[in-house]
Amino acid sequence: MKHKRIFTRETILGLIVLAFMAYLSLTTNFASRNGFFSMMLDVSPTIVGAIAMSLVIFTGNIDISAGTILGFVSYTAGELAMSGAPMVLFVPAAIVVGMLIAGLNGWISVTFRVPSIVVTLAMNMVHLGFYATFLRNSGWIENLGDNFTWFGRGMFFNLVPYIFIVSLVVAAIFIFIMRYSKFGKTLYAVGGNRQAAIYAGINPDRTVIKVYLVEGFLLGIAGLLKAMTRSDVLPSSFQGREMTFIAAAVVGGVNIMGGSGKLIGALFGALLVYMLSTAMIYMGFQDYYQFALQGVIILIAVFITVTDFKALKHNLRHAFAAREGK
Amino acid sequence: MAKQNVKRKRPLIGMSYQGALLALLVFLIVLFGLLEPVFFHPNVLFNVTAIIGEIGIMALAMTFIITTGGIDLSVGYILQLSAIVFGSVYGSSHSLAQAIAAAMLCATACGFLNGIIISKTKIPPLVTTLATMNLYRGLSMIVAGSQTYSGFPEGFKQISTINLFGIVPIQFTYFLVLFLAFALFYSKGTLGRNLKGIGFNEQVLVFSGINTKRSLLFIYTLCGFMCGLGALIYLGRLSAATTSMGNDLNLQVITAVVLGGTSIMGGIGSVAGTFIGVLIIGVLRKGFTLLNFSGNIFNFTLGVILIIALVAFALLEERKRTSQRRLKG
Repeated sequence: MKHKRIFTRETILGLIVLAFMAYLSLTTNFASRNGFFSMMLDVSPTIVGAIAMSLVIFTGNIDISAGTILGFVSYTAGELAMSGAPMVLFVPAAIVVGMLIAGLNGWISVTFRVPSIVVTLAMNMVHLGFYATFLRNSGWIENLGDNFTWFGRGMFFNLVPYIFIVSLVVAAIFIFIMRYSKFGKTLYAVGGNRQAAIYAGINPDRTVIKVYLVEGFLLGIAGLLKAMTRSDVLPSSFQGREMTFIAAAVVGGVNIMGGSGKLIGALFGALLVYMLSTAMIYMGFQDYYQFALQGVIILIAVFITVTDFKALKHNLRHAFAAREGK
Repeated sequence: MAKQNVKRKRPLIGMSYQGALLALLVFLIVLFGLLEPVFFHPNVLFNVTAIIGEIGIMALAMTFIITTGGIDLSVGYILQLSAIVFGSVYGSSHSLAQAIAAAMLCATACGFLNGIIISKTKIPPLVTTLATMNLYRGLSMIVAGSQTYSGFPEGFKQISTINLFGIVPIQFTYFLVLFLAFALFYSKGTLGRNLKGIGFNEQVLVFSGINTKRSLLFIYTLCGFMCGLGALIYLGRLSAATTSMGNDLNLQVITAVVLGGTSIMGGIGSVAGTFIGVLIIGVLRKGFTLLNFSGNIFNFTLGVILIIALVAFALLEERKRTSQRRLKG
């Protein structure tokens, strides 16, 4: 039992990502500086968002309002930066806003025992309505100065964007946390078997609220990474990002029912989802094919995770044996 | 004897909740009437029943689905897709019969796909319909591009522009007839009982030899079919099919059902409650339009109402449970 399998789900996924990269490099101009640069720029917020979503999914919950939370985060950062606040001020403020809004989702879901998907679905609408009703110009901010965009546009050696490094560091930290910390284990425990978790002395309600707070923290980072690359902010443009996060997570092998999956998988999932959509654009499909593609990806990935193939094989073999016996 | 007791008790609790809903409905009508006196005009009041045609029809099927503890997030986009299919088929063939058949077939197929995935695999309904929602949305965009389909014949528009007796919109009669049929199937007969059973404890039904998968497949397909009907009624009223129609109908339908007292956890539900819930949504929509509030404020309010309804229902359940515990000693 001690020997480790080399071909785990994650290594296979990594190989698929590499193969895809090779294929794109051979058939298109993906291997150029521009190709890699735009990949790193686009995939960074998705990586952080997919990790945030995975943490929530580990506990058996979900957050449909993740996309619109990003909108609040970027609006807060943009508004503060517009009024001249330095980065040390608007970054923590935006992250706190993300934590509060995501924490509210978790609190309502836990306290009133309402499924998180319905709460966050309603919140999604509440957020969108909030932008349009209460924010000036629906939260549209333009002409943001260098104090906002310098970090998002900055890069090492004129090639690697800062934000890509940030997303990798965040990913590394959370992979470490999930593997070695007690908090990581409690997430799997609550999602895997709630009753068993209670018997093991874990308070599932507190854990779920905590995980939403952490999710809000990460969404804060993801929103900033996305917003700070541009000189304008439009909160409603973030609507629908949650589907990308969910797709990345489930493609990465995170079990949608909770309790299992790995963050490294979500990282590869984010890369793969980006690569698939890029490939579609290179093949000349309009970008609205993305909706259909994401839906199909999620269905297939979830089907593969949820189905017990061993049992299926067993059943099929028995069915065939029975038929031959007749 | 004991059985009768239980039977007599149930509707009593249901009635009191629905009574509160009715009170809310009357309160809203009076409120909007005071803010905007034209609201009391019979034409306006009957117009409320015209604009709820499509969400009402979808909400009836959604009540069945939510009773089983499931949900269908894709209803708005099934409506959109079948409306687009209607538009494109009519645009190319100019045959009303073909267009209607294609739209209904498409909607039913969408519902069937949801149902087959939910009943045959272990993927939860939430995730299935979240994914198919995006799928149908993408498909309707692929079919339509940026096109808008319009120019439907006058004869078609009549399916939702005629007023019976000069005042009652015809959509309301569709809704009323379907409501009676759904209410009958829900409270009498095996289907409704099975649905509540699935919501309470599916395992028990499976062990008692009931084919729960078939019921699930049936109701999700039925829901698709109802979305198709909704699409036709909607098209008759709007007379143009675009990829933006139906975008926010999901939330309206789910809010109407949850507001009507159907538990999101499954097992408990009320078609009559859904009926009142739909009327409340209609009154809100009409009132907001008259007061010149934007659609965003309406959606915002709906989201808040949905959350409040969920919370209120959870609190009521909690109180019922504690009072029962106290009775037991």
